[in-house]
Amino acid sequence: MTSFEIGLTSLPILLVLILARVPIWLSMMAVGIIGQYLILGNWNPFFAQMKTVSYSTFSNYSLSVIPMFLLMGQFASRGGMSKSLFQAAKAFVGHRRGGLAQAAIVACGGFGAICGSSLATAATMGQVALPELRKHGYSDKLSTAVLAAGGTLGVLIPPSVVLVIYAILTEQNIAKLFIAAFIPGFLAILGYMVTISILAKRWEKDEVPAPRASWLSRLQALGSIWPVIGIFALVIGGIYLGWFTPTEGAAIGAGATGIYAFFNGGLNREGFIDAILETALSTAMIFAILLGAAVFNSFLAFSRVPFEAAAMIQEMNANPWLILSIILVLYLILGCFMDSLSMIILTIPVFFPVFQTLDFGMSLEDSALWFGVLVLIVVEVGLITPPVGMNLFVINKLARNVPLATSFKGVLPFVASDLVRVIILTAFPAITLFAVHLLF
Amino acid sequence: MTRLLELQNHFTNKVERLTKLFALFGGVMLMLLAVLTILSVIGRTINAYGFGPIQGDFELVENGTAFVVFCALPYCQMRYGHVSVDILSRRFPALLSWLIAVLSHGMMSVIAFIITRQLYLGMMDKYQWGETTFILQLPAWWGYAAALPASALWLIASITAMMAVITRQASAREEPSS
Repeated sequence: MTSFEIGLTSLPILLVLILARVPIWLSMMAVGIIGQYLILGNWNPFFAQMKTVSYSTFSNYSLSVIPMFLLMGQFASRGGMSKSLFQAAKAFVGHRRGGLAQAAIVACGGFGAICGSSLATAATMGQVALPELRKHGYSDKLSTAVLAAGGTLGVLIPPSVVLVIYAILTEQNIAKLFIAAFIPGFLAILGYMVTISILAKRWEKDEVPAPRASWLSRLQALGSIWPVIGIFALVIGGIYLGWFTPTEGAAIGAGATGIYAFFNGGLNREGFIDAILETALSTAMIFAILLGAAVFNSFLAFSRVPFEAAAMIQEMNANPWLILSIILVLYLILGCFMDSLSMIILTIPVFFPVFQTLDFGMSLEDSALWFGVLVLIVVEVGLITPPVGMNLFVINKLARNVPLATSFKGVLPFVASDLVRVIILTAFPAITLFAVHLLF
Repeated sequence: MTRLLELQNHFTNKVERLTKLFALFGGVMLMLLAVLTILSVIGRTINAYGFGPIQGDFELVENGTAFVVFCALPYCQMRYGHVSVDILSRRFPALLSWLIAVLSHGMMSVIAFIITRQLYLGMMDKYQWGETTFILQLPAWWGYAAALPASALWLIASITAMMAVITRQASAREEPSS
């Protein structure tokens, strides 16, 4: 077998291992190790690589932003900001038909501005908003679906751990990616709100809207969310203005949310230990995958598969829009059973070189930013699609009496709204790139 | 047999506690890194007044992060926290699921062993060549040495977790983590 053939064969083997429930990092690592051996013919390069690869992967400065953002998200979840966000959103839209569900979406978006993870957003906002939605007569179907869908805003609205990883893998500017994700994030909120107002008329018979709030209480509610606005502005603004690196921004964010949570009583001994342990768990999970990917990708590079695949696509001279659509659909399918981070880490090293050969009539950087945002959205759809929709599982833990099937039915209109958004953003790259061109 | 299982569970609990301790230790380190970074940014911002950024802050963050990650790995192992895809496996017969779980944990133990051993050898290399960090000129082997105990605990945790899976003591724990 040539190296190229070994590389090609490794892909289905990897898929089989992953589907057999072998942990993803281990599958990548094992296939990478054995593939490298088959290509090079002896173990020495592998053992030499292993002397430094673990330490150097974990001690990469650009990756240090990940545990910091995770810590920030954990502190934010315990700071009680979710409550004031929901109250503020409720004061503005709660009196409308489906208004409380819309308020939950807006609050999720707000929380997403200080938290870079989907599951944490779904869990935190779920605790606050689910009881209120049920108290106001919302059906199980809509209320669980709203929060599962809203959870994806945690990642869609910057800061976003998925975007950070994409930026590192493709060597793009994190600040630019954050800015690029901004308008699509707003469109997501808007799309979900429209979806709710359509659904509320059809599904919700017993819904009792909240009383209309006076402008005074609205302004007061808005005043109570200043820490969220402040932290978001400081972290994202500071990174954008070049005051500090993403890691520094994340450290400042973690410090600010930590202090806020502490003074709000969210960080007693137990809460603190919990926050640390959860951060450790996610950190280990992500870095293990990154380590597996480092070994796997160095094997892939030996086999020249990404390079040849890119060359093949270029020779085919196929319609770039077709290739892009195929990639996006592939992500949607993969997303049905894989989590977003593993998907990105696993596929970007192959898909990105392929994508870069496509000519969409824009600069390489623009197309990379645009692609990043599109990929971000399609992998996040995976969090709410059956059979493995992690966000729904999280919400399901909070609302144990609701069958998962009910939530999955409820979430389908939101998936539809996501798909519409993907199509719009694919067709009009300017929507994504507009803010980047304006600000940089 | 039950006596043996009791002993095993006792040992598993001990290891679990130790991994938690390491994870907390790593977490405290992470917070120290955050504080260090914040101080450095503040120092840089008010540079004019005789303050300055902390020398070599990037290096410290880099190496500190490696320490944090190594400290977190054993805990993740004991919580069965690594991401896997269980869409098909729910339909597997129990024996096949068990076999795959045992094999995965066996492979993880082997890899944890290789990583720990090579980390040690890597440390010796750095020590012998006298490699130092860029700005602070700290010996590069220090970082490796600091990570070594956690890596060794990772190996122990992998084996413990594997044993728990083999004797089916882990099935109750093996809930997907949120």
